[in-house]
Amino acid sequence: MSGPETKPLLVEIGCEEIPARFLTNAQRHFGEKLKVSLSENRLLPDHSEVNTYSTPRRLVAHLPVVLTHQDDLEVTVQGPSLKAAYDIEGRPTRAAESFAAKNGQTVADLTRVQTPKGEYVALIRRTAGRAAEDLLGEILSGVITSLEFPKSMVWPGKNGMRFVRPIRWILVHFGADQESVAASFPIISGLAKEFSGAGIAVGYETRGHRSLGLPGPIAVENFDDYSKKLRENFVEFDPSSRLAKVKNQVQALLDKNELKLVGDSELEEWIVNSTEWPRAILGGFDRRFLALPREILITVMRGHQHYFAVEDHAGNLAPHFITVLNMDGDPKGLIRHGHERVLTARFRDAEFFWQADQKIPLRDRLPMLDRVTYQKDLGTYGDKVRRMRMIATEICQLLEGQEKITSQETNYALRAVELSKCDLTTQMVQEFTELQGIVGGLYAAAQGEPQAVADAIYDQYRPVGLEGDLPRSLVGAVVSLADKIDSVVGGFLAGIEPTGSSDPFGLRRAGNGIVKVLVEREIAWSYLHLITVGLRAHQAEPSGNMADRLEFFLTERLAFYVERARGYRPDTFRAVRAVGIWSVVEAVGRAEALENIRDTEDFVSLSIAAKRTRNILTKSAKDISLGGLRLDESLLEPGAERELYEAYLQAFETVTPNELIAGSSSVGVSGPGYIGDPLVQLQRLATLRPAVDRFFENVMVMVDDEKLRLNRLLLLKLLDNHVFSAIVSLSEIAPGPAHVDASTSKAPSEKR
Amino acid sequence: MCPETFLRVLGPKPWRVAYPQPSRRPADGRYGENPNRLLKHTQMQVVLKPPPETIQDIYLQSLAELGIALGDHDIRFEEDNWEAPTLGAWGIGWQVMLDGLEISQFTYFQQCGGIDLDPISVEITYGLERIAAFLQNVNDVFEVKWNNQLTYSDLRREDERELSVYDFEEASADTCRKVFDLWEQEAARLLGSGDPAEAATRRIPLRKAYELCLKCSHLFNILDARGAISVTERVALIARIRKLATRVAAIYSARESQVLEEARA
Repeated sequence: MSGPETKPLLVEIGCEEIPARFLTNAQRHFGEKLKVSLSENRLLPDHSEVNTYSTPRRLVAHLPVVLTHQDDLEVTVQGPSLKAAYDIEGRPTRAAESFAAKNGQTVADLTRVQTPKGEYVALIRRTAGRAAEDLLGEILSGVITSLEFPKSMVWPGKNGMRFVRPIRWILVHFGADQESVAASFPIISGLAKEFSGAGIAVGYETRGHRSLGLPGPIAVENFDDYSKKLRENFVEFDPSSRLAKVKNQVQALLDKNELKLVGDSELEEWIVNSTEWPRAILGGFDRRFLALPREILITVMRGHQHYFAVEDHAGNLAPHFITVLNMDGDPKGLIRHGHERVLTARFRDAEFFWQADQKIPLRDRLPMLDRVTYQKDLGTYGDKVRRMRMIATEICQLLEGQEKITSQETNYALRAVELSKCDLTTQMVQEFTELQGIVGGLYAAAQGEPQAVADAIYDQYRPVGLEGDLPRSLVGAVVSLADKIDSVVGGFLAGIEPTGSSDPFGLRRAGNGIVKVLVEREIAWSYLHLITVGLRAHQAEPSGNMADRLEFFLTERLAFYVERARGYRPDTFRAVRAVGIWSVVEAVGRAEALENIRDTEDFVSLSIAAKRTRNILTKSAKDISLGGLRLDESLLEPGAERELYEAYLQAFETVTPNELIAGSSSVGVSGPGYIGDPLVQLQRLATLRPAVDRFFENVMVMVDDEKLRLNRLLLLKLLDNHVFSAIVSLSEIAPGPAHVDASTSKAPSEKR
Repeated sequence: MCPETFLRVLGPKPWRVAYPQPSRRPADGRYGENPNRLLKHTQMQVVLKPPPETIQDIYLQSLAELGIALGDHDIRFEEDNWEAPTLGAWGIGWQVMLDGLEISQFTYFQQCGGIDLDPISVEITYGLERIAAFLQNVNDVFEVKWNNQLTYSDLRREDERELSVYDFEEASADTCRKVFDLWEQEAARLLGSGDPAEAATRRIPLRKAYELCLKCSHLFNILDARGAISVTERVALIARIRKLATRVAAIYSARESQVLEEARA
């Protein structure tokens, strides 16, 4: 027996040019919404394909299999209980009658259903399935009007249609041949009624490329015909094919001219999303512009003109560019000539900015920062620089104390902080905002500031993302940290902290940057002190709720770093975090040690024992308090119990003398509460395993004798405090085969 | 923004107009040294209310009429939305790129003088110097031949230089502020206060008030190009001009609907 009848559905929304930056999402949402709406309407068999495509002028969906008819729907509606529905003599009650009437049926139609609460009367409500043709008009108009864009417009008037740009046509084809034209008629007339006020032509026609295709509408018969005719009319509607085309053409140009691409996947996507028929060409510019810094040349080419920059094989920028046309070619070279002229004017503009900006050196621009707003509740950039200076001073003191930088380097760092935001007032940065910092660095060097200062200004926004380069020097790291700590603390104080997926001020990214710089530049700086310094710079109380929130935020960033940049399992970091964190450097050190040792047999076993110990202690803590009690050695039974105690003492005394035993918490303000290499320490702890195992095998803890029981609980508590939670909290570790978590944490491990 | 655009896009009456308009942007001054950028350039401005459904095709056809062979060039509509905060006006649209050169701004006006437009209008501006340079195949707008004797440079280079010197170097912030205050007061006096519907019945020289508002807007741009405005002052100045512009728009709209009602009656 064959299945239910199906037909292919093709829909094209023809629109005036959709902004390239919105197109990928628009295509995806179109497909998702169609799928949901068709499924809800019982027209889409499970797992059927929804293929979507797009160009700047169209959103396309092709569904090869759509049901031509809905199934009839049967819904069982539950009524009153059997007892309430019939009287003693078995006659329907008023309740039963009104239930039936409410559902447009009679008591004769009642059936019974068995539920966990007993037997009830019920009715079967049947809804006859409708033909897809009668439903698709409404479904499609619902989907189209529900598509959302970050910025949209209305036309023809304020109560009219809302979309990203005016829709000019809609193509609908339901079926695979001529006959489908007739079948699609109800759909088309439904849509036409809905959209004619907005001037949208609904029909079976598509349109070709603006200047290369046939003018006017092009009738198509089915999806194959649609594909063929669009390509004949210079429209490649599949973005992945356009991407492949662009890549091949660019590569051919590079090979022919012995050049290399300055790669740029964002630009690639922009190009794919802004062309219907891409064609890459090579253009050139006057060598004299190569005297301008590479960063500026690339930004002009990519930012303003959407050109790829190219280099020679030695990595020097070449006086050429690649641009991708929305044309089939440029046989007369007219288009290339036009682009070259425009680029020359742009470069001359950059030259103009460069020369104009030198008239006021960065150092004289500091007072101007008091007129540039940083954030409405956080004052001007002048205020921000003053705060950064306070933060940088603290970091430099710390680093000088650790003999990592000289006092000269401190001077460089503070100088770089002072000049770091001055480029905001330059014409170059006002024109190319994405070059903030980089322009400052280039200008500082040109204006005779020490190279260390110029480099630190240049690097202040590094690292960009977890894979990004670090500031090249410690001086640069100081400036980068001061900037980010000020941003994060300020953001929290101004109430613009990230929530859910929203982080408009990029504070998470700044937090990730703080963690990455501290860890990879090995700046051992107390976590709490960092937060205190940040709050003080903002003249805020360095205690209480705000400090706690900042600590939590940074710890989350650290967890992200440990999982994503290092690829460690999430419970590894949980085990580190549970004990407390003194600095991000030592926390990552412990996480690394644990990650290395946690899959060894002894350690797995010890972790299980730790969890067991914690469970016993948690349960017994409900009934008894161990506070103030001391272990009585004389009560320890010879054998497994005494052996465990001795093993504990021995392992422990060699590892963590007095401080830990005395202190209640293993983390202090002055430094982490353990000494030495965490890996060596964890290895020592692992040697306890046989004694622990023997103890649990042979000794009963919860014995009737209260003295004995308390003493054993005290022994477990010593273990829990000083061994299982000394360096990391072993009870947090989920024992199991190696890398079980790693496989689900989608953590790409980064080079170290 | 010329009153032929600012006022006429308000209200329901259809409107079609085209006119050349000098556009002054102090921040774009380059002392006459840039081949494509001018402090004062000339735009052909076209306003169509409501926009025809084939407006993009009509626009492309207009380029062909000017002599640009559409099949030989790459013409693209790139996202670029337009906004004039001092006039409470904004729209959605594109910059039109001709082989990588911006030659037009194409905007579906959504709001003007703080009023949601109904119907909307489309505004298309043609950058005449750039289009002329393109058609004459010269690399620099100053090389455009005005006629057989004169180039654009002969006519305009010195203007550009002097305007740039004034706006970037010489403009007195004090004087600009004083004049701003005076013009603002004069406009405010003309516009009065109270219900716009009531004001619409009085003999208010609206176009004059709007012109004064534009003068304030230009002074603001000069102060801005001079870097003479602090953050808070900037916001305040924009709000002051916007207040005048929205008042003009409100009175004009009220007049339009009164005229419409009279016609119906």
